[in-house]
Amino acid sequence: SDVQTDSIAAKKYSRDFLLNFVDKCLTLPENFIVTSDIAEAFIPSLSSSSVLIRDSH
Amino acid sequence: LSGKEESGENLTHPLENSWTFWFDNPSAKQKQKAWGASIRPIYTFSTVEEFWSLYNNIHHPSKLAGGADFYCFKDKIEPKWEDPVCANGGKWTVNFNKGKSDTSWLYTLLAMIGEQFDDGDEICGAVVNVRSRAEKISIWTKNASNEAAQISIGKQWKEYLDYKETIGFIFHEHAKAYDKAAKNSYTV
Repeated sequence: SDVQTDSIAAKKYSRDFLLNFVDKCLTLPENFIVTSDIAEAFIPSLSSSSVLIRDSH
Repeated sequence: LSGKEESGENLTHPLENSWTFWFDNPSAKQKQKAWGASIRPIYTFSTVEEFWSLYNNIHHPSKLAGGADFYCFKDKIEPKWEDPVCANGGKWTVNFNKGKSDTSWLYTLLAMIGEQFDDGDEICGAVVNVRSRAEKISIWTKNASNEAAQISIGKQWKEYLDYKETIGFIFHEHAKAYDKAAKNSYTV
């Protein structure tokens, strides 16, 4: 296996390592529903349109 | 992009702790009398991948409405003074001008979930308070009287954020008793 076993044991991840995943996980977890009481916290169209993904920072 | 899903087994990267995002809705808050009554857990995540799935779809602090509070706390710890794990704790706070906390909020989350603090066991979670003229981020800890652990967390946090100004630590007990007049017990 190419998994870093020492990282798995301690489960410590540096900022740079974590940032490698930012573009790989763009959609909300399956079965997750944005209910009205938390809707204000969410970006409305990101999950339904990939067009907006480049519109950050 | 369709049809490009990863094939085969899904390798994910487990976190040391599970964490829960909480949101306090500013419009609901105005209608509620009891503090904390409008806080809602959003989602509990336990892998690097789940974290980004949520984070990428959630507004950054600069885009949240004034009055909003966004929390990321260890699973099973409620972001309230009354929570038994938080009751004897306190918080470090970093202040920002309006719209300037986004990067520090992300770096705070990454340092916590990546277990980058030497005294990470002492940490309950973090909160960003968005107000009309400013934003502030706090890290809540468990045992405020454990000075060495608090100082270590405060120093490391400033390093991760590259924050140069002095920051203060306030015991929850003091905040409860004196509200805004509560004094810093530690500074770094």
